[in-house]
Amino acid sequence: MSRGAPWLTALRFGFPPLRGLAPLFALLALWQLIDPQGSPYFPPPSAWWNGLAGLARSGRLFAALGATLTTFTLAIALACVIGGLLGLLIGRSRAARRALGPLLEFCRGLPPPVIVPVGVLVLGYVESLKLVIVVLVAVWPILLNTASATAALSELLGEVSQTMRLGRLATLAKIVVPSAVPAFLVGVRGAVPLAIIITLLVEMLTSLPGIGSLIVISQRQFHSAEVYGLLVVVGLVGFVLNGAFVVIEGALLSRWPPRASFAQGG
Amino acid sequence: MRDDRFNVPGALTLLAFLAAWEAAVRFGVVTFAYLPAPSAIALAFVAIVRSGELFAATVHTLRSIVIGWVLAGLIGGLLGLVFGLSAFARRYALASLEVLRPLPAIAFLPVALLLFNFSLTTELVVMIYASIWPMFVNTMGGIANVAARLHDVSLTLKLTPLQTLVKVLLPAAAPAILVGLRLCLGTTLVMAIIAEMIGNPHGLGYAVVNALMAIQPEQMFAYVLFIGVLAIGLNFCLILAARRLLPVYGREAMSHV
Amino acid sequence: MARIAAEQKFEVSPAALAPANGGNIYECEAVSLELFPHGQRRLIIDRLSLNVRAGEFLTIVGSSGTGKSTLLRLLGGLMPASSGSIRFRGSAVTGAPSGVVVVFQDYSNALLQWRSVARNVALGIEGKLDRAEIDRRVRQSLQLVGLEKNASDHPWQLSGGMQQRVQIARALALKPQVMLMDEPFGALDAMTKASLQDEVLQVHERTGTSFVFITHDIDEAVYLGDRAVVLAGPPGHIHKTVEIALPRPRDQMRTRQSPAFLDYRAEIHAAVLNAGGH
Repeated sequence: MSRGAPWLTALRFGFPPLRGLAPLFALLALWQLIDPQGSPYFPPPSAWWNGLAGLARSGRLFAALGATLTTFTLAIALACVIGGLLGLLIGRSRAARRALGPLLEFCRGLPPPVIVPVGVLVLGYVESLKLVIVVLVAVWPILLNTASATAALSELLGEVSQTMRLGRLATLAKIVVPSAVPAFLVGVRGAVPLAIIITLLVEMLTSLPGIGSLIVISQRQFHSAEVYGLLVVVGLVGFVLNGAFVVIEGALLSRWPPRASFAQGG
Repeated sequence: MRDDRFNVPGALTLLAFLAAWEAAVRFGVVTFAYLPAPSAIALAFVAIVRSGELFAATVHTLRSIVIGWVLAGLIGGLLGLVFGLSAFARRYALASLEVLRPLPAIAFLPVALLLFNFSLTTELVVMIYASIWPMFVNTMGGIANVAARLHDVSLTLKLTPLQTLVKVLLPAAAPAILVGLRLCLGTTLVMAIIAEMIGNPHGLGYAVVNALMAIQPEQMFAYVLFIGVLAIGLNFCLILAARRLLPVYGREAMSHV
Repeated sequence: MARIAAEQKFEVSPAALAPANGGNIYECEAVSLELFPHGQRRLIIDRLSLNVRAGEFLTIVGSSGTGKSTLLRLLGGLMPASSGSIRFRGSAVTGAPSGVVVVFQDYSNALLQWRSVARNVALGIEGKLDRAEIDRRVRQSLQLVGLEKNASDHPWQLSGGMQQRVQIARALALKPQVMLMDEPFGALDAMTKASLQDEVLQVHERTGTSFVFITHDIDEAVYLGDRAVVLAGPPGHIHKTVEIALPRPRDQMRTRQSPAFLDYRAEIHAAVLNAGGH
């Protein structure tokens, strides 16, 4: 394992080698060639580009992108803080884990999209609705993973902190928290795609500003080229965000023993 | 320390939570306009059971889930098998798939709506697209891993490729494949609900959104809680089935979340 | 095998040279430990009395189930005894005593894999001493175990034997009066084990630290120890104590082949068999 370039290694796993993209480009080229005019249902890639350009010129594309990305970033940041802290607290306390057990299990099994209508109804159409719902959904994988890792802290490390005569605070800061970091990051890795999906879902259901509502509007107006184009935009956003996360995770985990987390690719 | 005793603190906390919720709504402590009390939710639940709405919606959603899960499992599994066995495929085509994988399937809903309108096809297409990925990734990973490790074994035993596949690779990759199936089921459930919320006005997902639009909070919550229980139930059934059918592998695959 | 340059001196903890309580650094009187797994009472250690002399290398040997690890944890203050008294330098042991460090068998999980070797060694002293003193002690401890070149490596990059040496260095950085070692070389191959045995003997010689060393390897117990205690059980109790009057410094070839060594080995082996072990 190359020690010197964790960024490069992570980059390699976050973004696949380009030569494998040939089939995709071939497919797109074929599509373009077969149907240069464009049927209403299967517009060729060139039409997608035109549609997107139109949206960009009117400013709607970037406004929507801005809204979606802002919500996503804020939500992930909040979910990390809340999920990490609560996860640590719950993990440390066996009493808390037993008492909250059934509630946590239920919330873990609850399909995230269901929370969206609940949030809309209970909170109403307020500014912060989108952010609150996405945070509410994204916090779970982070909280549960962190709690589980904190709880599983080996008895041996507890004995080490005893024989090294570390106080409670030192044990927490030097042993408990660092050992939970890899699991915390696994939780964040799960939260990222979830947050993207739920952000889009909220936008689609409520027509609050964002890419989701933009796609729905284009679909209702039967601007199929725009819909396909926006699909590509969403794909790119998802690709970049996931890749960025893998790179960040790789850099943060460079001090830890190499794990399968890179190879799994989320 | 394993606690086999009934989780008394857990049950008590649950009851306390429900009681607090009931009290908060009854005494106007919590002032959300549309937050119903647990008692009202329970009544609404009884109503939708009696009227048969819950049953009809559940049947629709379950049917979609089963069809979607089986198809996604087969397609994802086959793709995973091919890519797991063929380094050539991985070198020249994997990146294309890796680019598609992070694409949130929900973004395909509008496309599917354009092509198929509000229909079961829309629901199934989007569900299957999304659910293929966990199955594909886990199967590919499992097979590739195993193929590398057991390559020498099959050479020594002079097995034909088919025998190698059936007797060595598939059983050894079974834990990974089971994990893939389990994740696939989870994704299928989530996507079914999403699709029913936006693309196909039938089933449990639609029932929730319908109750939202009609401003019937008690009914909405009743459906939401039922969906949660259903999700847990499905997962539980899968774990049981895995343990029965594949005693050794099933336990290993299902022991991790 | 001599990793320590002759001219290097490691400061000796003065307390280690001045024995307290008539030469005993540990005095255990009728110590018992009972546990209650699943509501059943299990007596792990039964009225065990043991003294550890200051500066000695005491080995404790016995088969599994005799309570060796538990005894070590009692001495280390990691768990309280159910009855009897354990006194370290005259005071009762409540919690981990200052001046005593435990070294565990599972080095991989006892080290902090996300910290560098140097920072692992500093774990017990950071925040308690000033920066310069911490750096000095870390360097000295690493030199004592021959890992000064690996200070900025991470444990997972090192072999098993090296990781165990990191753990030993971490303990040494505290300048302890007593090192309690729980089958520290059990997970290592024979050659690494031999090399580490000699290193531990050198540390003992250089620093005067008392050692309580648990092992199930009779050869190791005789090779290392001034005195070997044979534990029997369950419940754990002392079956026999053997004074080992082999000359120091010990040598892997000469000592192990000397007739006296073979006699001690046979004596202890017989005692272990007698005690019901294998």
